[in-house]
Amino acid sequence: MEELKKKILSIFNDLEIYIRRDNRMFVNARKETVLSLLSYLKNLWYDHLGLISCNDWIDDSEFELVYILSAYMAKDEEYQEKEKRNIIIKTRIPRQKAKFITVIDIFKNAEPYERELHEMFGIKFEGHPRLTPLFLELEYDIPPFRKDFDTEKYVENNYGQIPTIKERKNNKRNERT
Amino acid sequence: MDRNQIGKWLKNPSKMANKYSFHVVYFCTGCGIIEIPPTITARWDAERFGIIPVATPRQANLFLITGYVSTKTLKAIIRTYEQMPEPKYTIAFGSCPINGGMYYDSYNTIKSLDKYIPVDGYIAGCMPRPEAIFIGVTHLWKLIDMDKADGYKRYREDYEFYRENQEQLFGELNWPPLFKNKGS
Repeated sequence: MEELKKKILSIFNDLEIYIRRDNRMFVNARKETVLSLLSYLKNLWYDHLGLISCNDWIDDSEFELVYILSAYMAKDEEYQEKEKRNIIIKTRIPRQKAKFITVIDIFKNAEPYERELHEMFGIKFEGHPRLTPLFLELEYDIPPFRKDFDTEKYVENNYGQIPTIKERKNNKRNERT
Repeated sequence: MDRNQIGKWLKNPSKMANKYSFHVVYFCTGCGIIEIPPTITARWDAERFGIIPVATPRQANLFLITGYVSTKTLKAIIRTYEQMPEPKYTIAFGSCPINGGMYYDSYNTIKSLDKYIPVDGYIAGCMPRPEAIFIGVTHLWKLIDMDKADGYKRYREDYEFYRENQEQLFGELNWPPLFKNKGS
């Protein structure tokens, strides 16, 4: 793992890399270097994008995108079952009018992850072929996974306002009389 | 056959036949469906009670709502329920269809199911064990005997109110009403 760290740092000099466990490497990257870092790691046998995730740091008014990479067994010569390696790449983007560049060109399976992030956090991925709704049925003013989405208030204003059948009946009866 | 029930059979044979042959529609909503495989297979053997799962709602007359209902699932539940032939019965599992349960503040889960479709009985618990399902079903038999399991009749009678509630949640519904509104 230390060798890999040196190898990466020899090419990209503006990264923060720290190794928390033997098989897990955390990389803090600036948003400009993420794409080149991903394509470099892909050629370096880390060719499986496990997940794209997102954190909402509302106090810093920033989103943190997390890319988790791992290696398929066949290509990795040093690979052993004991040391299954993960590389976790974190980058921060501004929260206002959040947008980022899609990584579909590098990892094709990024498409549904980016659609999900667009739906749940409202991050626009430039170059994504279809940012259509994926999971949600209703429309929300604020994307529901953002920290400033007040779930209890939303529930009260929407589901709480729907009357029971008995109340509807009584209302109708009162209207007629 | 139980000799005490001969009178009931002679009086209303179709009701008794319905009661002892519940066909459950295969429909998985939420986490409670994990209780259905042990219930219908050899360990608890639901066929003793005449319960058998069927593939389509057109053949079914019992609808088990197993667990929380998200808004997307509710749309499918309404359409499935409307396709089932009468008489049809609904049993809701667990706390979530009653009042939201642990999803009381979820942005995407409806809080009480009986605002949208009629529910004949609830089985409380999270999740109810297969024994509780059988208690629920035998209790439903009693309700049918007393003509109190009248969910489908209520749906027919109050259809406009149910439809109004469904439309308040979803906006426009993209299927026509099942019954014509009377009165208005």
